[in-house]
Amino acid sequence: MSVKKVLGAAALAVALTACSSGGSGGAGTPQGEKSFSVGVTTYFLSHLTPGRSVASNVDYALFTPLTTVDATSGKAVNAVAESIETDDNVTWTVKIKPGWTFHNGEQVTAQSFADSWNATAYAPNAFENNFMFAPFKGYAELNPADGKPSEKTLSGVEVVDPATLKITLTKPLSLLPYVLAQTAFAPMPKAAFADLPGFDRKPIGNGPYQLDGEGLAAGVTKVALRKFGGYQGQAGDADRIEVKSYQDEAASYRDLQAGALDVSLVTGNNLTDAAARFKDRLVRVPFPAVIYLGFPLWDKRFSDVKVRQAFAHAIDRETIVKSLLRGFGQPATGLAGASVPGGGAADCAACSYDPAKAKALLAEAGGWSGPLKLWTYQDPVNTVVLEAVGNQLRANLGIETVTTQTQPVDQLYPNLAAKKIDGPVLLYMGAGYPHLYALADQLFTKTSASNVTGYDSPEFAKLMADAAKAGQEEAMGLTQRAAKLAMDGLPLTPLFQPVGGLAYSTRVSGVKPEFLGAAVLSAVKVG
Amino acid sequence: MGKYALHRLLMALPVLLGTTFLIYLAVYALPGDPIQALAGPNRALSPSVEQALRERFHLDDPLLVQYGSYLKGLLSGDLGMSFAGRPVSEVIAASWPVTFQLGVTAWLFMTVLGVLLGTVAGLRRGRLADALVLGGTTVVMGVPFFVVAYVAQIVLGVNLGWLPVSGTDAGWPLAYVMPGLVLALYGLPQVARLTRTSVLDNLNADHVDTATAKGLRPRAVVVRHVLRNSLIPVVSLLGVSLGYLLSGTVLIEGIFNLPGLGYQIFTAIPQHDGPVVVGVGTLLVLVFLLVNLLVDLLYGILDPRIRLG
Repeated sequence: MSVKKVLGAAALAVALTACSSGGSGGAGTPQGEKSFSVGVTTYFLSHLTPGRSVASNVDYALFTPLTTVDATSGKAVNAVAESIETDDNVTWTVKIKPGWTFHNGEQVTAQSFADSWNATAYAPNAFENNFMFAPFKGYAELNPADGKPSEKTLSGVEVVDPATLKITLTKPLSLLPYVLAQTAFAPMPKAAFADLPGFDRKPIGNGPYQLDGEGLAAGVTKVALRKFGGYQGQAGDADRIEVKSYQDEAASYRDLQAGALDVSLVTGNNLTDAAARFKDRLVRVPFPAVIYLGFPLWDKRFSDVKVRQAFAHAIDRETIVKSLLRGFGQPATGLAGASVPGGGAADCAACSYDPAKAKALLAEAGGWSGPLKLWTYQDPVNTVVLEAVGNQLRANLGIETVTTQTQPVDQLYPNLAAKKIDGPVLLYMGAGYPHLYALADQLFTKTSASNVTGYDSPEFAKLMADAAKAGQEEAMGLTQRAAKLAMDGLPLTPLFQPVGGLAYSTRVSGVKPEFLGAAVLSAVKVG
Repeated sequence: MGKYALHRLLMALPVLLGTTFLIYLAVYALPGDPIQALAGPNRALSPSVEQALRERFHLDDPLLVQYGSYLKGLLSGDLGMSFAGRPVSEVIAASWPVTFQLGVTAWLFMTVLGVLLGTVAGLRRGRLADALVLGGTTVVMGVPFFVVAYVAQIVLGVNLGWLPVSGTDAGWPLAYVMPGLVLALYGLPQVARLTRTSVLDNLNADHVDTATAKGLRPRAVVVRHVLRNSLIPVVSLLGVSLGYLLSGTVLIEGIFNLPGLGYQIFTAIPQHDGPVVVGVGTLLVLVFLLVNLLVDLLYGILDPRIRLG
């Protein structure tokens, strides 16, 4: 065999590959069909079962829960629910609208909701959103500390008739309509329970779009959504949506720039570039979250509130947002930004930049001795912001040695829980559902897993409990008082509320963010 | 030759076994908590679910017990389940075509460009072309590949719009040209330099002088007498280079969003997804061993003086 023959064989092999792969490229779109493509991070496509998904825009395209949070008013309004009523905020009666069906034609009934909720609340299923069902009566029986649960269904969820659902909670929670707006509380059809792994790959929902083709098969990086003709709510505009998954927003933004994508979320350093390149095709997205510096309250050096106030006053939030984030952020004057219902108040008195006062407060508290270590998790934005915070603390408080340390999320949180972190920590916290109550509860309630500072105030707990018992209007006021109280105690100081962007191609319009920041898929108009 | 091949195949078994153990150990030793990684940022799993997951994936067992149960499954043909709940065999079946196409593309680029550049440099020793090849390959060896990948995406994809930035939508070959070129850089400098050295050695050989003295055309001398002999060491390098290429797919498929085997490892490592990393990693090692065996067998064909056995 000569060299020529060897090379010839290699060329043949390549030609064969070329033939075999020819079919996979470029799926044809029928003429006149309205379609667009959207980029999401792989995290959004990890699971699609209501009890396992992350409440992404893809999940909201596939499923419609009982309620939805109105983007303009910030109020929870009914979606599949006809009415949600309660007298004591513990027992709730939910009436369901008639005529709603799943993508396979099955009726959406009270049982569809009960089935879905029971599956998620049942510990052995190991659905990731299980924790959201803790307020329901019967949750403890399904999630014992040891061994198999004795029950398979939540005693607090009762199907009265096909159109009526009775919910009983363990304690009052007036914000239940907000909680129910998440896709974790979406219904599931009977067909799902024959094959739960298969359903996770290709769910049958009740949302404006249904999954096309194979769905989330092993190793895929894109799925296609097709408009659901029988949808009872506000129908989507596009007939077909191609959802492509990327490692991060930077990768999907590159594809958008190259014209291979129509809508992409933009974050971090790409925002400046996007503002210049896309101009009015970049929508500012205020995330319902806060970036804060948390103080380790178990550390004696931070036990005096004056020290914490000194730190808070020594940070120039305006400059950080302006120079490091190029204006893509809202310098914090309080815990939550205006995009969170109940937020927007300047409830953080210590959040003003006042280096003289900072120095005086620190001196009053006995000054600072020794080095200071600042912590955060691995993230390009966090790292530069933390460096800036470190420099400002050094300059404004006269602390000589300030170092920073980053850890991956999966190391930092366990270390925080074990109280092994020896300095202030820069963290991100997003509101679990669109209400100030969620953010305050996650950050300051003693038993919350994301209360990393160890804050524990009976007064705060009392106000929150009162808010949970009160009606929606009154609850808002009580929650705001609770947040103010926590901000005065200053276990953490808010730095800024993050802002991202949604950039889109000239092919589409009507791009607007949903609560978590990604584009509302059914609202995107093609052409 | 058949006996030799069989011997090599048998030798591959302990190597594979050792590989699975080493990769398993590496995943096990990753710092951080797999459960926290599974939940993702901003979500705290309930203790009952955490417990159920730990039991399902045997996370509480000691390393050897975990590895033992994995190996037991492996021997009965079960590659295990990924943390996302998909059988690893399905993941592999879905992703190998992408890696195969990328690997072949990159390997072709590496071979064709490397041999071409090396031959030109060798024939024009000391001239400008030689200096360019030597200088160029030095630069390529010095620059990290992810930098090259991002620059290529921005220049060729975004600014010039010649090639797709990422994904496999455009199909073979278009979607694989850019990642293939970048991946080829993993082995290109070595191939070019070895070809150059080898060509230089052979140019001075007696049989080349004889051929020239016989009055053969220079082209025939180069192709038939210089190149053929020069390629023998290069062929063995091409086999070894495949190892570089395969390990390179992890980064390159990650950056270019190509859902191949490397991409699966790229996404599985942050998730501490042991079954996927071990299964896919072992498969890549197996491919590497087989290709090197083929290369060694090819030796005997290229150079009849070499006897295997």
